[in-house]
Amino acid sequence: MEQSLAARDHCGQRPLKQPSLALMAHLVLTGLTKRYGQTVAVASLDLAVERGESVALLGPSGCGKTTTLRMLAGLIAPDAGRVTVADQDLTQVPTHKRDMGYVFQSYALFPHLDVAANVAFGLAERGIARSERDRRAREALALVRLAGFEGRRPRELSGGQQQRVALARALVLRPQVLLLDESLSNLDARLRESMRHEIREIQRNLAITTLFVTHDQTEALTMCDRIAVMNRGRIEQIGTAREIYDTPATRFVAGFVGRINTIPLARDATGLNAGGIAIRAHGVPDGPVDLFLRPQLVALAARSEPAGDANRLEGVAARTVFVGDRSEVLVDTAAGRLVVELAPGAPAPADGAEIALLWAPETGRVFAREDA
Amino acid sequence: MNTGAGASRSLAFAAAGVIGLLLAPVVVVVVISFSADSFIVFPPSGWSLRWYERLLSHRPLMAGLQLSATVAAFVAVLSLILGLPAALALARGNFPGREALRAFFLAPLLLPTLVLGLALLLAFQPFGLIATLPGLVLAHLTVTLPFVVRMMATNFATLPDDLEAAAATLGAPPLRVFFRVTLPLAAPGLAASGALAFLLSFDETVISLFVSGPRASTLPVEMVRYVEGRTDPMIAALSTVLVCGTLAVAVAVERMIGLTRAVGR
Repeated sequence: MEQSLAARDHCGQRPLKQPSLALMAHLVLTGLTKRYGQTVAVASLDLAVERGESVALLGPSGCGKTTTLRMLAGLIAPDAGRVTVADQDLTQVPTHKRDMGYVFQSYALFPHLDVAANVAFGLAERGIARSERDRRAREALALVRLAGFEGRRPRELSGGQQQRVALARALVLRPQVLLLDESLSNLDARLRESMRHEIREIQRNLAITTLFVTHDQTEALTMCDRIAVMNRGRIEQIGTAREIYDTPATRFVAGFVGRINTIPLARDATGLNAGGIAIRAHGVPDGPVDLFLRPQLVALAARSEPAGDANRLEGVAARTVFVGDRSEVLVDTAAGRLVVELAPGAPAPADGAEIALLWAPETGRVFAREDA
Repeated sequence: MNTGAGASRSLAFAAAGVIGLLLAPVVVVVVISFSADSFIVFPPSGWSLRWYERLLSHRPLMAGLQLSATVAAFVAVLSLILGLPAALALARGNFPGREALRAFFLAPLLLPTLVLGLALLLAFQPFGLIATLPGLVLAHLTVTLPFVVRMMATNFATLPDDLEAAAATLGAPPLRVFFRVTLPLAAPGLAASGALAFLLSFDETVISLFVSGPRASTLPVEMVRYVEGRTDPMIAALSTVLVCGTLAVAVAVERMIGLTRAVGR
């Protein structure tokens, strides 16, 4: 496990598409493309996953993440590109010879077989003797904490239990690569949370190279070493959860991962302004731009407080919303309504209080405006 | 809510009325089959089992029954064997001309059986297939196959998503996927399709009239011949036997599917 952690830190630092990395990585997708008529589902996708690493494909529905996963498993034939695992080109290899575990969103348990037979299904295909099959199926079920459920039918299990049977069925074969397709989306919130940690733990202990498709950013942030944010068939950014969150590479990533304020900026002779107030920011592209600002990176201050080097925007506290583990203040400014997270322990401003918002120029991210 | 209940009640009455109307002739036939009269009279003046005894010793009808059962059994099995790949291709395949093929498979359903019978007579004559077991089986297949293909295609299309894909990811090659997953899950539907093919063949009259002959004629053909000459309650006795037989098959299939569902799903 130490090894896999080291590998993770290592690759977090490095730019991705370097061929040297591709040579070393365990699972490599190169130029993977899938079109359906005129629509491009997956557009020349490159991705390299280290051995034992867990990578999330995060994106909205229809962004091509499930198509990518299915191409990986050989369930969909790509129009172009290659899939290699451990330097072996699998692009033309049929699904049943790929040695990839796949956990379907629907779980896809065999209704005519009991739990033990479901888990042992792949072992039987590998010609393993009955007694050995039973033993390993029991082991795998114990791993997902379902010991004693061997004789049940899938329909007699809850959603979470079915999900774990599907996981055990994939893991019992010790596949080279584990593919999870929205595997938690059919579970209720509490179960989802505990399954997240369970799957993460198992994945780490077994050090299985894992690709996890999800539209849920919390899942991506908590379950994976790195996140590849997908949009319209492309990877917009790939990096650790921190990198994605703190330094989003594109406008889409900034808006999709985490809560964020979008402030339209205007240009004048001296520089940028938001609603007429001069704003300083780093890395500003040409053309019309918007400022993206995380709610927790904006400080609430009294109007009298000096701004120093920080950007300053005056506003009126409209409302304070308690969201359970934190409070958010909605502030009306010249640049529109902004959400600001209240620092822990700080007193909430009274509704209607005249306040100022402060943030350092380097905390915001500026991206070109999209013509919607 | 009251009006709803009232509406559903009157609907139930209407349904019962229609069912009664449909079943009334059958009831009359069953009653007449136990008649002691020499002619068809309703209600009968006396009761007996003599027409059942007469039926058992009536050679042409008994031979027809045996032939029909044999033909129907062959037709049921062949419909499944021939229809299965076609149904699978229609349900799963994604190839050019699939819709055209689907239309082609269902075309015989649209032809009047009279036309079909005549066509088969003309086609079979040169090959000496008229009034033979293979000829009858082939003729009946033209009727049963469209039904069976259609039923099985629906059956395959409604299997849960991803089960076959899951089997493949677990290392099962396509043929093994079919035998370990697709077939067991489709089995109830296949049994139902087979039973339907059997009943359709057993019941088939118009086409059989064309391709039967003195050497070999099916039960419905023999019945038509018999009724042409005489009107005694023996034909009612035979009808009653057939109704019971058909019901038995239907109930057996229902039980079988119900049972498999209960165990499997």
